[in-house]
Amino acid sequence: MKKVKRVFSILTATALVATLAACGGTSDKDSGAASGGDGGDKLKKITLFQSKVEITEPLEALVKTYKEETGNEVEVWGAAGDAYSQQLVAKLSSNQGPTIFSVAPGPESEKLKSYFSDLSGEEYVKNIAPDMELKVDDKTVGVPYGVEGFGLVYNKDLVDPANMKDLDSFTKTLEQLKADGKNGLSLSQEAYFLIGHIINTPFALQSDPLAFIDQLNKGEVKMADTKEFQEWAKFMDVIKANTKNPLEVKYDSQMGDFATEKTAMVHQGNWSYSMLADFGDFGSKVGMMPFPLAGNDKIAVGVASYWVVNNQADAEEVKAANAFLNWLFTSDSGKKAIVDDFKFIPALTNIEAGDLDPLSQAVHEATTKGETITWALNYFPSGIITNDLAPATQEYFMNPGMTGEQFLQKLDEVWAKASK
Amino acid sequence: MSKSKDKAWFALFTVPLLFIFTTVVLIPFIIGIVYSFVNWDGIPANPKVFVGFDNYVQLFQDERFLSSAWHTVQFTLLALVCVNILGLAFALLVTTKLRSRNAARTMFFMPNLIGGLILGYIWQFIFTDAFSFLGEKTGFDSVFFNWLLHPQFALYAIVAVFTWQLAGYTMIIYIAGIQGIPDELMEAAKVDGANLWQRLKSIVFPLLMPSFTICLFLTLSGAFKIYDVNLSLTKGGPSNATEMFAMNIFNEIFAYGNYGLGQAKAIIFFLIVAGLTLTQVIITKRREVQM
Repeated sequence: MKKVKRVFSILTATALVATLAACGGTSDKDSGAASGGDGGDKLKKITLFQSKVEITEPLEALVKTYKEETGNEVEVWGAAGDAYSQQLVAKLSSNQGPTIFSVAPGPESEKLKSYFSDLSGEEYVKNIAPDMELKVDDKTVGVPYGVEGFGLVYNKDLVDPANMKDLDSFTKTLEQLKADGKNGLSLSQEAYFLIGHIINTPFALQSDPLAFIDQLNKGEVKMADTKEFQEWAKFMDVIKANTKNPLEVKYDSQMGDFATEKTAMVHQGNWSYSMLADFGDFGSKVGMMPFPLAGNDKIAVGVASYWVVNNQADAEEVKAANAFLNWLFTSDSGKKAIVDDFKFIPALTNIEAGDLDPLSQAVHEATTKGETITWALNYFPSGIITNDLAPATQEYFMNPGMTGEQFLQKLDEVWAKASK
Repeated sequence: MSKSKDKAWFALFTVPLLFIFTTVVLIPFIIGIVYSFVNWDGIPANPKVFVGFDNYVQLFQDERFLSSAWHTVQFTLLALVCVNILGLAFALLVTTKLRSRNAARTMFFMPNLIGGLILGYIWQFIFTDAFSFLGEKTGFDSVFFNWLLHPQFALYAIVAVFTWQLAGYTMIIYIAGIQGIPDELMEAAKVDGANLWQRLKSIVFPLLMPSFTICLFLTLSGAFKIYDVNLSLTKGGPSNATEMFAMNIFNEIFAYGNYGLGQAKAIIFFLIVAGLTLTQVIITKRREVQM
């Protein structure tokens, strides 16, 4: 018995030493191998922080698959909607930044550009569809999540797009729906769903939206003096007069009422289908049409976010991050997850659009036909939607006496303050 | 020997605390003062430009900051009155010979155990859904409507939740104060024929002054610094009507990315809170009577 014990302890010790030696060996080999990544080498654990609540669960599942297939670990940090960029900046400036994070184009990526690694040399970026990458000084630094689009999501049983071509028919449709006891069109209280997306249309219809935003920032033009905005204000008046107060509606209840046919239309994007799917199969019932402002017949399509790699992370982590992104965009499991689980409309040429849901299908078709208007809202001054435009809109919906015209003046006022 | 031993004990208990206080309060505070003189967007890689007192000048022209100051003052006054009146009333109630007094104590204190964020979310549901429902069913829709959509009532809603949260806590302090009042005094007064109000006015309140000092200090500083209930209940809405000091500062720094201006606001905020609470403590201390 004693002997057995001794043998056992010797064995354990040997095993320990062997493991230690093996560890040393691996690290030696790691530093030796120049462009490693192939073979079974374990890469450093990395962290990923992203803004899309909708894909949190499938992303965590995907990370598990990644670990099973390659043995490497990725930790996903959660964030909730509007607060994402604040949390990101706080994490980055305290040097606890994630290895991979997502940024929105426009002022946000401009502000954070000193954190972006140059991805130009990586394999997967070669597949990004033309003009869809995030660039800083001619270097590719960000990979698009996918394209997204928004417009009026409608229930085909309740609304006919043919009756929604201009202000007159829009008004008639909403009034008719109200008379039928339905909520015609629903916005919801979250800043982007309340004002950010719907105000994009008059901006996008300008001949040069970016130049217009620039002029607005400098105070050279006013929304109240611009034709498209004046008409937009009339649309808002119609919405205010005929639908439920959006301040009492949350994204959840907005989609819930839409799914249960209490609401005929919602101003939403293709991402909202994931919530509709929870209520059953709506495939044949829903569609997306353009917001019919000034004869607009196009859906707003753009890239909401890019993946970027934090260049403050150490070289090992950057390498691991690139390996993960490469796996995500080139391996079968990764590509499948992007289209099937995240339900993204791919912006990479090597990924075939999967079985798209009806809303994404509408966006995809508009994109391939080129019938889209831009996401001008990406180029608004940083934070203006949540901090300035949303409170002004709350005031408009709260105060029954406030007209669309006064609303526009109020928007001009807060814009001037925010862009100062 | 015993002196050095005392010192050792003293060190054992205070040094860790001093260390923590220095690293998480004192040093950041000093760094914060420095930041209040620069113009910076919070990204370490981006430049910090020294601007002198510009931030301090600018903040007094910031209408939104000034209106948030006004909301905070309104809120603090209301909360101060509600919390202390209710806390004192609870305390008087549960120190009587009421049979259910122990249960009542527990019930009144309970909300304090729930975090402000969660309280806010619960009450958000009550104000939004339950109130609208009650209004529809009972017809009292001038009282029962969604308070959070009305600029003035949204502020009252925060006062209500804050009172709900803090009244139980102040009650505990008042109970301790009331129990410290000698029974002989009260009995003598009773024998002399003093009624309840006379007993309260001439014996209980003066002898409760130390409790008032503590409770007023707690509610004053707590109400001034309120953030959690503000965030979860109204997020500063509707249209910034309930944005308080702390939230305005947070937004300035993290939403607009004006670290310098936000820090300047925070320094002013500190000075105001420190000034007010010190004045209050000095005033109430002076009125404390010794037995």
